[in-house]
Amino acid sequence: MLDVGRHPNIELLAYSEVEEVSGSAGCFTARVRKKARYVDAAKCTGCGACTEVCPTDVTDLYNEGHSTRKAVYSWFAQGIPSTHAIDADHCRLFNGKKCGVCAKKCEAGAIDFEQKDEVVELDVGAVIAANGYTIFDPVKIPEYRYKDLPNVITAMEFERFLSASGPTHGHLDRPSDIAVKHEIAGLEKLEKRAARTIARLEEKIGEKSEAVSAKYAGGEVAEEHKDWMAKYDDYKALTDKLSTLKEKAESFTTAKKLAFIQCVGSRDLRFFPFCSGYCCMHSIKEAIIAHEHDNDTTSVIYGMDIRAVGKGFDEYRVRGGNNSNIAYKRSRVAEIIGGPNDSPVLVYEDTQLQKVVREEFDLVILATACGPSEGVVELGKILDIEINQFGFFKTTPENPVDTTREGIFVCGCGHSPMDIPESVAQASSAAARAVQTVTHEKLLQVS
Amino acid sequence: MNKDMLVIGGGIAGIQSSLDLAEMGFKVHLVERLPSIGGKMAQLDKTFPTNDCAI
Repeated sequence: MLDVGRHPNIELLAYSEVEEVSGSAGCFTARVRKKARYVDAAKCTGCGACTEVCPTDVTDLYNEGHSTRKAVYSWFAQGIPSTHAIDADHCRLFNGKKCGVCAKKCEAGAIDFEQKDEVVELDVGAVIAANGYTIFDPVKIPEYRYKDLPNVITAMEFERFLSASGPTHGHLDRPSDIAVKHEIAGLEKLEKRAARTIARLEEKIGEKSEAVSAKYAGGEVAEEHKDWMAKYDDYKALTDKLSTLKEKAESFTTAKKLAFIQCVGSRDLRFFPFCSGYCCMHSIKEAIIAHEHDNDTTSVIYGMDIRAVGKGFDEYRVRGGNNSNIAYKRSRVAEIIGGPNDSPVLVYEDTQLQKVVREEFDLVILATACGPSEGVVELGKILDIEINQFGFFKTTPENPVDTTREGIFVCGCGHSPMDIPESVAQASSAAARAVQTVTHEKLLQVS
Repeated sequence: MNKDMLVIGGGIAGIQSSLDLAEMGFKVHLVERLPSIGGKMAQLDKTFPTNDCAI
């Protein structure tokens, strides 16, 4: 990534979208909209002082919604370019409120609320579409109760939990436990405020709440003390709730018993009939990393089969089984139901025992399918290229990176689901085809 | 004949294509929808089968 930012031959147009591509192979004209960042790229040093003072919290999609970012932000810490951007949908100033603290804090004077979108025209010889994919939304499978059960998460969410830069700094805390900790933090604030109010009232009247409350126990409260006593009762309810939650939180441990469910949305005739290709390896990798974090972790990977086809992949699968407490179970999980302690319970048929089994886990990870990129239909129209029945760009087996329009090539998951090594290989292939489009001279004459 | 290249998408595929073309001496315009490049790969902690860091 850093190389892209530094390379003299690459002009990086981040936060931009292609709006129109006209012309033909060798002489295309592309219109690109550079969206307003409201931060001057020439001045911003990426120091992050603006994000420190920004008062607005926004759900962070980079962390799959498990943390918050500010309205002025960089997509992630090591992002290239490091230029920050203001999210106009959430920024207080753009929503008619008073603010602008980021502009005051920025020593480089890079914040520019007046910045407008900029449209640039580019003359290019060839186009490569590397538009990527969208992760399947498991809400579409109601029997897995994603969103209803807090401890059923997607593989990408789990990836963020594993990451040292993620929402839990690499600790495998369960989402339900995190929610309780957040609730405790919120209640503690309320408790402090309530305690201050009670203390003020006690000082004013010169009596202790506890004693006065005991005096009124079961009887009628005098008019002048009614408000005080009501407040005291609320305060007591709050402290009781807080101590119950704190007691509960003491028993929290990190997730140690993990279940991975394969083919969530893929190889499923209701959604995508194709295999997403990378999820088996992805689940094995996550289970291995989880075991590296904590050697007590055990994982079960439930799938129709494990597709470890690639250089070194099957060895990786075997190594996971031998060294990382991973069990591979041949089963298509039928349902996930809620269990005690917020632990999800899997209901599945163990095909070896020929029995329907119920098993409880700390955390269930759904290996969600690779679906076509969200804006693929619009991009297909802009580039005037065809899309296949599943929503990926149409190619032929003879010319695997050529789209239906000459001079436009496709690589990566815009082509079909594939893993990183395959994307890299195909990207080089698309680059070579693009060069062929603009190079007429034969370098080596065949005699 | 224009010799510049347009790459749409700054994920691992777009990054690799851009670097290859740039190394061959072509001018590349890399367009990314989000504020930073990296795509889905940048969200990954490690990559298989070597467990290398994704970033």
